[in-house]
Amino acid sequence: MFHEKQSGPAAAAALEAVGYRVGQQLAERYTRDKPRLGDALEIIKFVCKDFWQALFKKQVDNLKTNHRGVYVLQDNGFRWLQRLSAPPPGSDPAREEAARQLALSYLHLPAGIVRGALCHLGVSCTVEPDPKQLPSCTFTVRVM
Amino acid sequence: MLRGGPSGARNPPSLEQINAEVFTLTYGSIVRQLIADFEDIEEVNKQLEQMGYNMGIRLVDEFLAKAKISRCSSFRDTADVVAKQALPMFLNVSANVTNWSPDQTECSLVLTDNPLADFVELPEEYRELKYCNVLAGVVRGALEMVNMDVECRWVSDMLRGDDCYELRIKLKEHRDEKFPYKDDD
Amino acid sequence: MGIAAVAFIGPQNNPLYLRSMDPSPSDDQYMKLHYVVHCALDAVEEKVLLKRGPSDSQDAYLGLLYPTEDYRVYGYLTNSHVKIILLFDDEGTIKNEMVLRVFRRLHALYVDTASNPFHSFGLPIRSGRFEAQLEGIVAVAPKPGASLGGFMT
Repeated sequence: MFHEKQSGPAAAAALEAVGYRVGQQLAERYTRDKPRLGDALEIIKFVCKDFWQALFKKQVDNLKTNHRGVYVLQDNGFRWLQRLSAPPPGSDPAREEAARQLALSYLHLPAGIVRGALCHLGVSCTVEPDPKQLPSCTFTVRVM
Repeated sequence: MLRGGPSGARNPPSLEQINAEVFTLTYGSIVRQLIADFEDIEEVNKQLEQMGYNMGIRLVDEFLAKAKISRCSSFRDTADVVAKQALPMFLNVSANVTNWSPDQTECSLVLTDNPLADFVELPEEYRELKYCNVLAGVVRGALEMVNMDVECRWVSDMLRGDDCYELRIKLKEHRDEKFPYKDDD
Repeated sequence: MGIAAVAFIGPQNNPLYLRSMDPSPSDDQYMKLHYVVHCALDAVEEKVLLKRGPSDSQDAYLGLLYPTEDYRVYGYLTNSHVKIILLFDDEGTIKNEMVLRVFRRLHALYVDTASNPFHSFGLPIRSGRFEAQLEGIVAVAPKPGASLGGFMT
């Protein structure tokens, strides 16, 4: 509903900033009655489970890590992308790229939310969204 | 920069897919971002209204499809539908329509509960901010799609200490659809 | 027995809110307050380090941090690393459940205040609503001589 913005890096940064604040606030709300989380992995697992559930009505489907500070969160049915349809297989690259860019424009806000939450809980990081096969997408967390 | 301009996005996530708290917090964060980007509060008010307008023109189709009602003929009926059906569908809250002008071209949409403003405490330096101005834009945009040009202005605002949210809606022009034959003839 | 002071301290030990419940605290008292809170933060760090064993509960409530000659100091640590410190007048019995209840209400108040879009994390809390509600929460703690069931030994 709030994706009525011009596309481009400035808009992406603005949406990410909007999401970041929301992520901080949601981190406060969703951890209010929870015992204290421990290390970065515990916090990321919390985001993959309880946080994702409260926010996106499902949990992250797959969590991968290289054990050196990079975590890839995969959601195979990302709710906020569900109304987008993937271009049919064999479509020309330009069309596929346009669809990818459109999907990406929907991911800046949630990526910001995830980054805001993680940073607020003590895990300084960057979060890079990547629309894979719609409605699947990944969020790559790089702990700083 | 966030701008209230049109974009290529055609299928935004619907409200059922975003939980209410997140919706409220996201709106608040957008307001905050607009203040950071524009600084001038009057400009922010305009941006919020424009954002609402862009949403309003798109919401009508979704609403008509879901509510399964045909387009209303009168401003009075339309106002009732907005208050009793559209607002509950999109904002999860209903409003009352009051204070009709004698010529039936002006009325008030009154809300005592407004999810957009949950948790909000307006600081003194932003007392000129029309925090809920997106609603004024949504009403204007939605009604324009059903051929009614209206002007909306806030008369009361709970964030400024009033006891309700009152949006005054004034019908400027009702552009009748020009069909050679009417359905109910 | 009552609550003498409340403090909210941020993750970088930045002060978010510090309030003495004494109607007219002297400068001396305020300095003492600052000092007590400062020591409390050290005590919080120690407790948190000690509690990292597998069988220890990782509760937000840290219990009694330490007694001073005038106060009993209790601590609470949120997942966002905000510390809430409560100073109780050192009179009568203080029950853990009661302290925990106050902390929970203060925590909930903080979370709702932080949900205000005009809240700035890391900066001191400036909210009339927060102050008013905090006063209500803190006033619930019984004063000396009060006969409220459940709080007497």
